[in-house]
Amino acid sequence: MAWNLLFFYLLGGISLLAAIGMVVAKNPVHSAIFLVLTLFNTAGIFVMLGAEFLAAAQVIVYAGAVLVLMLFFLMLIDPQNLPERGGGHPVQRIIGPLLGVILLLEVAAAIANRAVSGTTGNATPENIAFVGGSTQAFGNLIFTQYLFTFEVVSLVLLIGVVGAIVLALPERLGERLSTISLGHPRGTDAALPEGTGAAVPVTRADRQATAALEATREVILVRDPDAYTEVKSR
Amino acid sequence: MDQPIWLTFLVAFIFMNVLLIGMAYMTWYERKVLAAMQDRVGPNRTGPKGLLQPIADGIKLLGKEDLIPANADKVVFYFAPLVVFVVAITRVAVIPFGNITISIFGQTINLWITDLNVGALFLLAFGSLGVYGIILGGYASANRYSLLGGLRSAAQVVSYEIILGLSLVGIFLLSSSLSIRTIMEQQTRDLIFALGPLTLTLPNWFILSQPLAFVIFFLAAVAETNRAPFDLPEAETELVSGFHTEYSAFRFSFYFLGEYINMIIVSLFAAVLFLGGTDGPGADRFWGIGILWLLFKVIVFLFFYIWLRGTLPRFRYDQLMGIAWKVLLPLVLVNVLITALIRLIGNGQLRF
Amino acid sequence: MTELSTNHFLFLSAALFVIGLMGVLVRRNLLIMFMCVELMMNAVNLSLVAFARETDTMFGEGFALFTIAVAAAEAAVGLAIFLALSRRAHTVDADEFHALYD
Repeated sequence: MAWNLLFFYLLGGISLLAAIGMVVAKNPVHSAIFLVLTLFNTAGIFVMLGAEFLAAAQVIVYAGAVLVLMLFFLMLIDPQNLPERGGGHPVQRIIGPLLGVILLLEVAAAIANRAVSGTTGNATPENIAFVGGSTQAFGNLIFTQYLFTFEVVSLVLLIGVVGAIVLALPERLGERLSTISLGHPRGTDAALPEGTGAAVPVTRADRQATAALEATREVILVRDPDAYTEVKSR
Repeated sequence: MDQPIWLTFLVAFIFMNVLLIGMAYMTWYERKVLAAMQDRVGPNRTGPKGLLQPIADGIKLLGKEDLIPANADKVVFYFAPLVVFVVAITRVAVIPFGNITISIFGQTINLWITDLNVGALFLLAFGSLGVYGIILGGYASANRYSLLGGLRSAAQVVSYEIILGLSLVGIFLLSSSLSIRTIMEQQTRDLIFALGPLTLTLPNWFILSQPLAFVIFFLAAVAETNRAPFDLPEAETELVSGFHTEYSAFRFSFYFLGEYINMIIVSLFAAVLFLGGTDGPGADRFWGIGILWLLFKVIVFLFFYIWLRGTLPRFRYDQLMGIAWKVLLPLVLVNVLITALIRLIGNGQLRF
Repeated sequence: MTELSTNHFLFLSAALFVIGLMGVLVRRNLLIMFMCVELMMNAVNLSLVAFARETDTMFGEGFALFTIAVAAAEAAVGLAIFLALSRRAHTVDADEFHALYD
């Protein structure tokens, strides 16, 4: 067996297994880890296809930034909100995989019987070696023929950033910003009993005192925290 | 330039072991330098000048009990430190220790493991993968402090990675290559300026043409490796060591190894990209001198790391983020813009 | 198929795409559905690059790069929407959001 075939089966096999793991995993954090594994192995396959720059971009952008953002979000969100409640309509759970398998068979048949169009471009290995490598050839393409698209994509990214900030801001200013959830299942103290107030030795007077304390405490949103932390001489 | 595959594996094996030994003595170096800065003696009991201290530390760490918290996510807890360590040590694969092929015992050997077309991006990509070990370790520990440490680290590394990458764009523009070996090769040429009667010969090191980028690179590198004064993820006073609070014995030592190897790799990266790599007086005569020059540059760079740790207090978290997004990012973008303009003028594509 | 051909990559791409599709159809957690969409995009990238290699053009690679960039923007906006949703409805279960349906 040729080496490249062996590498292909290794990378492809791991990415397929990880993809399946991502779909079946109960915990979203585990799903995210499996997705990282899939993306990383796909980057390896990009290298096999001679697209080194794309592989690096995939690892930096997808595996490095998007998935870290996702993990960040998973830990920012209240863990009570995370689990699936219904698990979907029962019909959906049967029809979904069935449709998937049918689609896979269809596409596989199409791939097996497709007509190979043959080479049409001039990005042959010799020409790519002539310009200095696939990264240089890729740069030539992006900054000449796709220059306008490139600019549009940068605009899309800018709008995405602005949109994300607007959406993630709290609705009323002065409302408590969502803090990192300390009630996370992984973040709970093992010593504390489960459930609300079941065996917690807190009296009613204690609660009222706490409520009064909470009412007087407010979260201040300031533009310049330095103004509040500096010690001013009287 | 082609060599048999077993020779490449041998070179990789030697490089990794050199890196691990270097890491061990990095701890000794750091403790000695810090001690000198604080007017102490530092480790001096184990071996002459305390030179056996790293080995004693290693044995001590391996002999400790391996504790796992009851609520921990076991599998993730097991492999999170390994991610940091493996990712850190993989990064050495694209760093060249010289530009030439040497011959020992009748074999021609390359002084690099692989010359990737996108070597610099490879280093950046693997640097960003290391954060998974930290954020997952913090998550799996079932500890609020660890979770906070992991989150801080994620935000910090993602922010500073942008700056680290952008600070290198100037170099990529000037050298028109992403391959580290090509970039290093371009720095061995001399620049000769004739100012009237006296001629000035300068090496073509990118620190001279990209000084701002070098400073920004240094700051971003310190933040990226979670070192003081940007060591918010493991701030002892607020987070009781952050993401590795619950780790002990050899799992902790993997985090420790990963952090120090990352520091050495970043120093090698800086030496190769900005400081001319193996370039120096006498380096073209014998390859060993070139490696010594590289080593010297790495030690100087590491000294700056320790210097910062010994003298500066830790930043507050909003200051850390403020520096990244409000100061360093605009600066580095301006640097990219100016470099691109100069490159265009130099090419003659832009005339006034 | 003892020789590595474009079809190998296309089969892998199709399989990854279908796994992602099944995930979107079966899972109800918005986050996991979102990850499945990312996986589907990745599968499409794979086939784009494979076709680019087969026809000796670079266009597929350029397209894949733009897909990655758009996916990054999508991830930022999508996660912000999920954060807003989870604040408002206290869940990220897709079946809980039926205000427009009722």
